[in-house]
Amino acid sequence: MTTRTHFQEELEGLERAALGGLDMVASALDRALETVMNHDIELAGMVVADDDRIDGRYLEVHQGILSLLALQAPVAGDLRLVAALLHVIKHVERMGDQCVNMAKLVPLAGHEPPVDSRMLDLIQRMGIQARQQVIQCGQAFERRDVAMAEDLVRQDDEIDRLNREVFHHALELGDELDRREWAMHMMLVGRNIERIGDNAVDIGEQTAFVVTGLFREFEDASHPQLAPPTA
Amino acid sequence: MVTREKAASPAEHKPGAPREPIFELEDVTVSYGDKPAVRDVTFDIAKREITALIGPSGCGKSTLIRCLNRMNDLIPAARVEGNVVYHGQDLYRPEVDPVEVRKRIGMVFQKPNPFPKSIYDNIAFGPRVLGMKGDMDEIVERALRHAAVWDEAKDRLKTNAFGMSGGQQQRLCIARCLAVEPDVILMDEPCSALDPISTGKIEDLMIDLKQEYSIVIVTHNMQQAARVSDRTAFFTVTPEARIGTLVEFDDTEIVFTNPKDPRTEAYVTGKVG
Repeated sequence: MTTRTHFQEELEGLERAALGGLDMVASALDRALETVMNHDIELAGMVVADDDRIDGRYLEVHQGILSLLALQAPVAGDLRLVAALLHVIKHVERMGDQCVNMAKLVPLAGHEPPVDSRMLDLIQRMGIQARQQVIQCGQAFERRDVAMAEDLVRQDDEIDRLNREVFHHALELGDELDRREWAMHMMLVGRNIERIGDNAVDIGEQTAFVVTGLFREFEDASHPQLAPPTA
Repeated sequence: MVTREKAASPAEHKPGAPREPIFELEDVTVSYGDKPAVRDVTFDIAKREITALIGPSGCGKSTLIRCLNRMNDLIPAARVEGNVVYHGQDLYRPEVDPVEVRKRIGMVFQKPNPFPKSIYDNIAFGPRVLGMKGDMDEIVERALRHAAVWDEAKDRLKTNAFGMSGGQQQRLCIARCLAVEPDVILMDEPCSALDPISTGKIEDLMIDLKQEYSIVIVTHNMQQAARVSDRTAFFTVTPEARIGTLVEFDDTEIVFTNPKDPRTEAYVTGKVG
């Protein structure tokens, strides 16, 4: 016999709302990338304005979780899910902010900046990779699939590699002031995309917590030698 | 690397830490007539801890707690098999005096059950019967203080105990239990007839009392088990055979955050009734 159906529906609704935030991030990321690729200042403004929707989702889920904790006193697996959702929605909100940061960099690069196609290609590849991770972390959470969540680390290595390439390519872009300035901005764009990937990995860690009840970092930047082997 | 172990609470609650047992139950089966009510229960109850027994109605938790001070002896058809070991001694050896057992292992029931006597006589009754030495006034005051009901009772010690509120009566019953200097206090749903304030007082009292006593509590209120107990035993009952069994016994924190058995998970999260 199943009881507390109302509570279970509320909890499922909160999970849907939190993971739905990742879809919002994916579309914000698409537009932020388009903004960068096409140097579209108008679209940049829309990305910034639309972040209010993601922030609204954060507030909605956060408030829902507080109510659930106060009124329903979830325990065991339910409690772990609620705790994880608090983290998930925080990461969603941050990824939204990182899309905003990318968009805000576009007008700063000047009116007709001296773009470099290889640099744009690297940024685009980073963006596509990050988008894939945003989707995958949501699917892994929804399916409670720890292996899929752990795979995010492997995926994130690719973003990190591309990010280093962006850095090196920026150094090679020559001495001209405008070009150097544009390259700096692209490095910052790359940095923001790289952070989106990290947030996706963090959501993967929450998946493992919900399933196993143990929290562990998939990769420990401060103690790399302790990190578990990854495929 | 952040791990749950590192973030865990003080050493006294460390999962799996050795604890000195006061009761050791080994394959305990209690039957009424031919029908077992609870079967093959094995676990240790630690000294100076609060152990909670939880589970749905009919899972045998009240039957089991009554074994711990031989209350089931009073039911003619009740039969206890297996070993109930108390301080290393089999509680059910023929030479063990059940009255002595109940002096050492006191019990508090769901409904406060003071004697129809004065507050003072309620407390003094046990010590008098047992011929305890010492100043009776002192014994009464100590017990009432210990049970956190002295301030409310001191000016009306000679009045009838039935004049007290339900919560006060329940603390009086705990005081009555403490007056004979027990070692263990068994509580069978001690707060289910009380309002939240009285419940809170009893819960605070339980936590204070575990400095000196070992406490076993049966409760239907899972939040109460979570709030007060150090370890929790979850029992369930099979719908077909209607026999209670122990499903999981662990640190309370684990039972309510990461239980091992899916039946425990389903019960504590309210997914099964």
